[in-house]
Amino acid sequence: MTEPVIEAEGLGIRFSANRRRRRGLRELLLGAGRGPGAEGAFWPVRDVSFRIRRGECVGIVGKNGTGKSTLLKLIAGVLIPDEGRVAVRGRVAPLLELRAGFNGRLTGRENIYLVGSLHGMSRQDIDERFDEIVDFADLRESYIDMPVRHYSSGMKVRLGFALVAQLEHPVLLVDEVLAVGDQEFREKCYGTVERMLADGRTMVLVSHSEADLRRFCTRGLYLRDGGLALDTGIDTALRAYEQDRAAEEQERGEPSEPGGTAAGGADRRARRLGGPESADAPAAERGGDRGRREPGDGGRAA
Amino acid sequence: MASRALAVWHSRRVVGLLVRRDLKVKYQGSLLGYAWSMLEPLAMAGVYFFVFGLVFDTNRGVPGGGDAPGGYLLFLISGLLPWLWFAQSLNQAPNAIISHSKLITTMRMPREIFPVQAAAAKFADYLFTWPVLLAFVFALGGRTSAQGILVWLPLAITVQLVFSLGMTLLLATVNVLVRDVERMVRILNRVLFYASAIIIPSGLVLESDRFPTWFTTLFQFNPLLGLFKMHHAVWYPADAPGALVLSTSIGGAILVLVVGYATFRRLEASVLKEL
Repeated sequence: MTEPVIEAEGLGIRFSANRRRRRGLRELLLGAGRGPGAEGAFWPVRDVSFRIRRGECVGIVGKNGTGKSTLLKLIAGVLIPDEGRVAVRGRVAPLLELRAGFNGRLTGRENIYLVGSLHGMSRQDIDERFDEIVDFADLRESYIDMPVRHYSSGMKVRLGFALVAQLEHPVLLVDEVLAVGDQEFREKCYGTVERMLADGRTMVLVSHSEADLRRFCTRGLYLRDGGLALDTGIDTALRAYEQDRAAEEQERGEPSEPGGTAAGGADRRARRLGGPESADAPAAERGGDRGRREPGDGGRAA
Repeated sequence: MASRALAVWHSRRVVGLLVRRDLKVKYQGSLLGYAWSMLEPLAMAGVYFFVFGLVFDTNRGVPGGGDAPGGYLLFLISGLLPWLWFAQSLNQAPNAIISHSKLITTMRMPREIFPVQAAAAKFADYLFTWPVLLAFVFALGGRTSAQGILVWLPLAITVQLVFSLGMTLLLATVNVLVRDVERMVRILNRVLFYASAIIIPSGLVLESDRFPTWFTTLFQFNPLLGLFKMHHAVWYPADAPGALVLSTSIGGAILVLVVGYATFRRLEASVLKEL
């Protein structure tokens, strides 16, 4: 029982700054001599260790771009870590995007079978739960045999949630997908999540909604600059996050604060921008990196 | 590696579903869906038969002589249908992973299933061309042999499956990281068509003294040559590949699969970051 369901040890992943741009063959061949991580490599997540026991609901807290979603994807296994390891015991339902897998040209019915199977449900399971799914999604009878591309985005999301509500995976990884649909549907979603947690399932939740986090989570992981800053109760984690944010607000409010040298200012601003640099990079390098991206701003700081 | 293969095997239902989804999407919405997909090989066969069969009245080198059962037209059809399988696999290969980026980045499943699925879908398309091939066989009086049905046909299909799976793994992976692949594929498609004796019986090159020895040797090192000779040999026993051509074909297919899978595994982590 005490064996952790999710166990991360020294977890880290490295991205190069110019990703999302495929390289040309020429670049790749000519650039082959460069060492790895030469240009703008950064670690969105590094040196993160934690254990999550069965039945826990853990919220991940932090600013935009501090690696929350990346961490969730590492746990889900849709990213492979460059450092450390993460182990998950039991089947995982990564609910990272509710509409994932829907094909616009297939009907709602066909999509339920397709996506349900992608999540690992058997045909029988889906047969049994089909009516419940359609009911939950609040789809009108005539819509279910219509191609999904004719659905409104709300209908698609509702169908997606209705489907994952039927999953029996013991581990749930949720990325901001709790608050979908109108008020009424949202209440149904909350009810479902509470039922799942009452079943003793384990959940990791990434959210910016404090209310959601406080409602479901007991424990909070506070991520700052890709590292795990705090692993504590959710209230404490949210408070620490709040405090850091307030402190930064204040800093931003008084840019001409005396005592800060030019380099220090650049350093602080780099930190505030939520830059992807790892926390232990020397300040000069960070300033330089930032300067390259925003030459005008860097010039003023110097 | 064995555990990965096992994981793909466990996901075979998902592969089947994705293949069926592709077929459904492809043939849905037009009653003529199937007819349309057959129109391309038939139009190609018609054009080549017009040019080489009627306009140029030369020795077309049909294996087994000009009056072999089925004639030049069946030779064209029996080469073009499997060629279409190959060409479409090659065309689609670069997209096998990119086109599923949404699924790959949000669901946990063995990533191998997407290249496998792409290769399997093209194979299914090929199977659907068999009624047309058989119609031509009956109409033109084509004849097969025990060896053709029991040796060349299963061997040709196996080699082509292995080859196209390896090719899909390789190109789909590399295309995520390097954007030149799609362009290369287009050129490759054209060159391989003429280099693999689809419409020109290989005898016209191999038995001619117009080409230097190094050229004919190189010609035989194309693994696709043996593959399409096998496809032809089902109906034209005289086209059966020799030892050298056969071994480059089988060896080439295995090599492509090994290289393709090694590349896939090696680059998997970077591919996931790029998607």
